[in-house]
Amino acid sequence: MCKNKYNPIHCIIPPYMLTRLMESGNKKIADLAINSNFRSFRFRNDRIFFQQSSLHEKTILGLITKQTEKETMQMEVYDCKQKTDFISAALLWDSKTNQKITSIAGKNVIKGGKASWDFYWQLFGRNSIDNKGLLIKQYVHFDRGMDNAYWDGRRMVYGDGDGSVFTSFTSDIDVIGHELTHGVTENEANLDYENQAGALNESFSDVFGIMIKQRYNNQDVKKSNWLIGEKVMIGPKYALRSMKAPGTAYINHPELGDDPQPATMDKYQNLPDTQSGDFGGVHINSGIPNFAFYVAAFNMGGYAWEKAGRIWYSVLIDVSLAQNAKFADVKNLTIVHAEKIFGINNPEVSAVKQGWLEAKV
Amino acid sequence: MKVKLIRTGGFIPITKMAETEVTLSEQELASLMVIIKPDPAAPRIKDGNYYELTVGNSSTPVDLEKVPDEYKALFSKLKSELRITK
Repeated sequence: MCKNKYNPIHCIIPPYMLTRLMESGNKKIADLAINSNFRSFRFRNDRIFFQQSSLHEKTILGLITKQTEKETMQMEVYDCKQKTDFISAALLWDSKTNQKITSIAGKNVIKGGKASWDFYWQLFGRNSIDNKGLLIKQYVHFDRGMDNAYWDGRRMVYGDGDGSVFTSFTSDIDVIGHELTHGVTENEANLDYENQAGALNESFSDVFGIMIKQRYNNQDVKKSNWLIGEKVMIGPKYALRSMKAPGTAYINHPELGDDPQPATMDKYQNLPDTQSGDFGGVHINSGIPNFAFYVAAFNMGGYAWEKAGRIWYSVLIDVSLAQNAKFADVKNLTIVHAEKIFGINNPEVSAVKQGWLEAKV
Repeated sequence: MKVKLIRTGGFIPITKMAETEVTLSEQELASLMVIIKPDPAAPRIKDGNYYELTVGNSSTPVDLEKVPDEYKALFSKLKSELRITK
């Protein structure tokens, strides 16, 4: 029996009958039949889409809101004792024994590693870097005064900083989240590390790095200052990058000069794809997609990871995201995914479009 | 002869440089520059630092792992003296 008391056509009626009703001379009946036919078409397609969706995609779409499986983070932290080989590094901490440690750098990376793992698991159902529970390996005190942190394809490595421009690269959770996200990207789109694809690779790391920090500090889009590495860089006026205003993280710095990041595509820097050219400016031009994300997330309001983060993550794991993707490809995919998750013409879709528009992509 | 080590790359791309005088022969330096060349097929390290050695008019990228024991002290000295160049 039809339970729709307002509209008898919104019931289970055979298709041949619906076709006849659509051709009815009564305009009201014909309109309702056309509307019903359209809804049936959408329901059929939705059903096909959801049947084919992976667990990951279902999580993104909010169909699975809570993880039922019990998974735990696996992590080891090593002390390189200012040397440059990993073989002689001493195990400082591991998640199995969870022993107490005194090393500040060690504590920092445990905190940042946990915050990153929790972020991916609790929000997206992603179990570690490879989504298969990969053991997270972090190495602190690497080399003497190394002013850097990196992901080498197997591990995250942090230096203590030179002590004058930079302090320990473990000081900011966003830097730790940034490095871990390089591993995630490598296991997903595996974006080339050059030119626009490389800048997108860097941007995804900044986007997730900042959200990991914001979530850890319970900061919404208004409360966050959108600075990456604000503690790593010595001096209250400086940070490594600004997502809110790329190119302003440091100005007139006595050693570094000015932050070279552009915020908009018309300022894109065509640098050589060489070591000295930062492989086409991957750390420079990332300011453009970073700014697009900031504008999109800010316009959506609330916590960045709740809406904008879902969109960006679903793009990162989308198999159609090519290794050599350009900014315009990610722009299009974020719009497609925003429509998929929130529906066409919703404010979230407008916010994404506005983000890329302001970044002039 | 003067040798120059340049470091590029990193979380924020900065260039650092150091140079020193060495008493090595041209032949020794030419041989060194071949040995320390990185594997061109090696994957790019995300946020990694990259090194380049310049001797006279010729330069080569450097894989620090490949530096022979007898030259480790030289590279260690150069690394410790790296300064930011604008």
